[in-house]
Amino acid sequence: MSQKTDLAGLSARAIREGIAGKRFSAGDVVEATYAHIDVHEPGIHAFNELTPDLARAAAAHIDAKVAAGEELPPLAGVPAALKDNMNLVGTHTTCSSRILSDFKSPYDCTAVRRLLDAGALPIGKCNMDEFAFGSSTENSAFGVTHNPWDLSRVPGGSSGGSAAAVAARMVTVSLGSDTGGSIRQPGALTGTVAMKPTYGRVSRYGIVAFASSLDQIGPFSRSVEDAALVLNAISGHDDTDATSVREPVPDFTATLGDGVKGLRVGLVRDMLDLEGCAAEVREATEMSVRTLESLGAQVGEIDLPMSQHGLAAYYIIGPAEASSNLARFDGIRYGHRVSDPSDVVDLYMRSRAEGFGPETIRRIMLGTYALSAGYYDAYYGTAQKTRTLITREFDAAFEQFDVLVTPTSPTVAFKIGEKAEDPLSMYLSDVFTIPLNLAGLPGVSIPCAKSESTGLPIGVQIIGKHFDEATMLRVAAALEGALDLDMRPPAA
Amino acid sequence: MAKDRLAGVLERYEAVIGLEIHTELTSLNSKMFCGCPVAFGGEPNTRVCPVCLGMPGALPVPNEAAVEATVLAGLALDCEIAPFSQFHRKQYFYPDMPKDYQISQYDLPFCGLGHLDIEVDGEGAKQRVDLDGGPYATRIGVTRIHLEEDTGKMVHVGGSEGRIAGADHSLVDFNRAGTPLMELVSEPDIRTPEEARRFAQKLRLIMLNLGVSDCSMEEGSMRVDGNVSIRLRGETELGTKTEIKNMNSFKALHDALAFEIVRQADVLDEGGRIVQETRHWDVTAKRTSALRSKEEAHDYRYFPEPDMVPFEFSAGWIDAIRARLPELPDARRERFMRDFGLSSADARTLSEDVEFAAFFEEAVALAGTPLAKPIANWMLGDFSAYLNAGTVALSDAKVTPAMLAELVQVIDAGTISGKQAKQVFTEMAETGDAPGAIIEIRGMKQVSDTGAIEAAVERVIIANPDEVASYRAGKTTLIGWFVGQVMREMRGQGNPSLVNEILVKKLG
Repeated sequence: MSQKTDLAGLSARAIREGIAGKRFSAGDVVEATYAHIDVHEPGIHAFNELTPDLARAAAAHIDAKVAAGEELPPLAGVPAALKDNMNLVGTHTTCSSRILSDFKSPYDCTAVRRLLDAGALPIGKCNMDEFAFGSSTENSAFGVTHNPWDLSRVPGGSSGGSAAAVAARMVTVSLGSDTGGSIRQPGALTGTVAMKPTYGRVSRYGIVAFASSLDQIGPFSRSVEDAALVLNAISGHDDTDATSVREPVPDFTATLGDGVKGLRVGLVRDMLDLEGCAAEVREATEMSVRTLESLGAQVGEIDLPMSQHGLAAYYIIGPAEASSNLARFDGIRYGHRVSDPSDVVDLYMRSRAEGFGPETIRRIMLGTYALSAGYYDAYYGTAQKTRTLITREFDAAFEQFDVLVTPTSPTVAFKIGEKAEDPLSMYLSDVFTIPLNLAGLPGVSIPCAKSESTGLPIGVQIIGKHFDEATMLRVAAALEGALDLDMRPPAA
Repeated sequence: MAKDRLAGVLERYEAVIGLEIHTELTSLNSKMFCGCPVAFGGEPNTRVCPVCLGMPGALPVPNEAAVEATVLAGLALDCEIAPFSQFHRKQYFYPDMPKDYQISQYDLPFCGLGHLDIEVDGEGAKQRVDLDGGPYATRIGVTRIHLEEDTGKMVHVGGSEGRIAGADHSLVDFNRAGTPLMELVSEPDIRTPEEARRFAQKLRLIMLNLGVSDCSMEEGSMRVDGNVSIRLRGETELGTKTEIKNMNSFKALHDALAFEIVRQADVLDEGGRIVQETRHWDVTAKRTSALRSKEEAHDYRYFPEPDMVPFEFSAGWIDAIRARLPELPDARRERFMRDFGLSSADARTLSEDVEFAAFFEEAVALAGTPLAKPIANWMLGDFSAYLNAGTVALSDAKVTPAMLAELVQVIDAGTISGKQAKQVFTEMAETGDAPGAIIEIRGMKQVSDTGAIEAAVERVIIANPDEVASYRAGKTTLIGWFVGQVMREMRGQGNPSLVNEILVKKLG
């Protein structure tokens, strides 16, 4: 291979076709990928762990198929990165937490297994906010990830490493997890395509749980088509996740080119008017909707006032479930344990105090309080009712519209450290994305503009009906095609 | 001793007892939320997987068979089956609990109100000083039955008797973690330790009949905790209760409750007050002692288990489970009394155990209904004695229903005497040979040929003139001695009643 780095920008389809046509091998892709990572990773720090042995073994498997003349799987030879909260045997799964810094996966996450079974090459595990608590990847025990568009800025979070790795072309696709916006918000801040599927569409088995009723795994990519290819691979019922559904899984690539003619697109007006939403973000969103209208969509506007309570409900439900899900990190069976406990309570308290970072401790405290006797009804009970009302509000909106459009993030990427001391301001980063997790709806963020002042990417969020990712992606693909943006960041 | 003082205490105080009974669903193939097998003991931490070890990212998937078994148990106890139910997380830290929360049920259990009828007789019936002391039946309410997962087991090393006090360190074995555990809560309808024992025993029988658990109190697959309070007779307000744990046998259950009732009475009699607390039954010291008080109780922070969707049972689904209900001991007893003319006591003993009852019914089917009573007698007599003496399980016994049927048939036909039958049974139980073969080999065939008997009688009369004279002079009690002589003459094979009949005729 002479033009190693050129492989870095290829789409999943181009890689598979290149390998099938023997223009390059899967082994070439692996070497080109790590060469590219060698150049860019020091400035970005997208990865907690690189897995060249696993990647080379997977590539050899693909190349053997080529040699044998066998049909290649849909993601054959596609370099993929995984958020470091997804289990894969042969890797550490740290959740960017000190408490799991030495934890080796004893089993495979279903979505990861499906992605690799589709031919993708496991390049490494990506940095994240500890246990996915955060919107900047600053809450990692292993250091911040830098935004490839401006290394002094955050890539968003919590799946910031997965987003940055794709944006910087260190991998073609990656998996993230989204509990309140942890895929879509970093997608917007890094200029990538970032999707949260419908709750239940993708198995959660093997992803370290943050909030079980909100978590969903989804892809980062540089094109809507690649996102659809990954979704094809990871979707579908899984016997090991009781909340995964038996909905049929269509070929999400099949309808990408169908256009938006006649589709009813609803712009969520009151979200645009929210205090804190930057003017350039509002304008980019309105421009996106006008573009869809020019492509033949029927455009209208709607208010979703109940969704404005989403943030409050989310910061009860999310921490409540997290406080329970993180109880297991107790120093007994795995993870960080103090060396000299005086008794079991001392072992628990100091192992956890030493192992968890401040934001994690804050969420555990919040959730424990919200579930405590005497407070349950006022907090958790009220939050669940709010959640029901938000779901109903969306259901009603989808009687009028096929998809809804909002900004993804109220601002472009902010400076590292800018919001670190102000958790409430950080929490507001997810104000547009959180309502979808509460309602279980699918959403995709695609880049729609670059800031005139900073050149940083701006994302727009397209929201689909339950299990109608196909229509959502079709709208995204139409917009992507019409805007035809060059989203290659400086550090790539 | 508490037991001796119980009657006196119960004269003045009424006890109010409710039970919480945990039953491991040991007959299921897999654990509650994963595919690991369910079994007792074994090399520590060998029946585990990411799910039952609470590994990061592992998810629980409910075992449908366990849900069905719980609903089946609920139907057997006439419980209301909830149309909508769900699991909750019960949260507290303990090293034997992998996730540091237990998946259990809270306000939406699978089974609601039901009941269990018990009978009390014998000495225990006298504990009800408000009744006449004779046998009685009473109905105990069932509050709820829910399903949860069992915890692992702690092994404390370096302390005494495996207790944590004084231990140097502790090990955890997660083999038991995630075993399906059904919890039944009774209404506080129980008034005496004997009623508590009968309730637990009856529940065990039903669970065994349903085939959901081996209900071994020794191995911990059935664990009974008791809540007990007392109040002066005539008082309607409830007293402060204590919870008693570690009652590992039915006797322990009875004795611990008896002790606790007397202890509470002593406290009250001395002007003290009962502290709401959990107490531990020490079977060696025969006393309860405080374990922890409710003041230190956990806030379990229950909330709906988000890893699972709620359960909605349709009437059709519940009916399908109901159709799987086997005949239960009470119904079987009534049928045995009705169809086979057995006494209530015999029918009860025969009907309690599923296998024992099936053995009986098979033997009756082969021998014919008229022989049901002798079959019952054999089973409750020699056969039970044999099984108990050698602690042989019925399934391991060499005696088959066909062999027992044949035995009662040959006795009925007069082929062998009752005394010979006992020998045949003993040999049959030891060798597994059929009665016919044993009779043949041992030359046991009973002689009913009157000619042969008459000849033997003649020989005995000629050989014993003095005894004949005494008999004829009025000492008719000698008849037994004559029978013995004739039987000896016939090497034991004479038909005893014919021998008797012919002797009386010849001597008279």
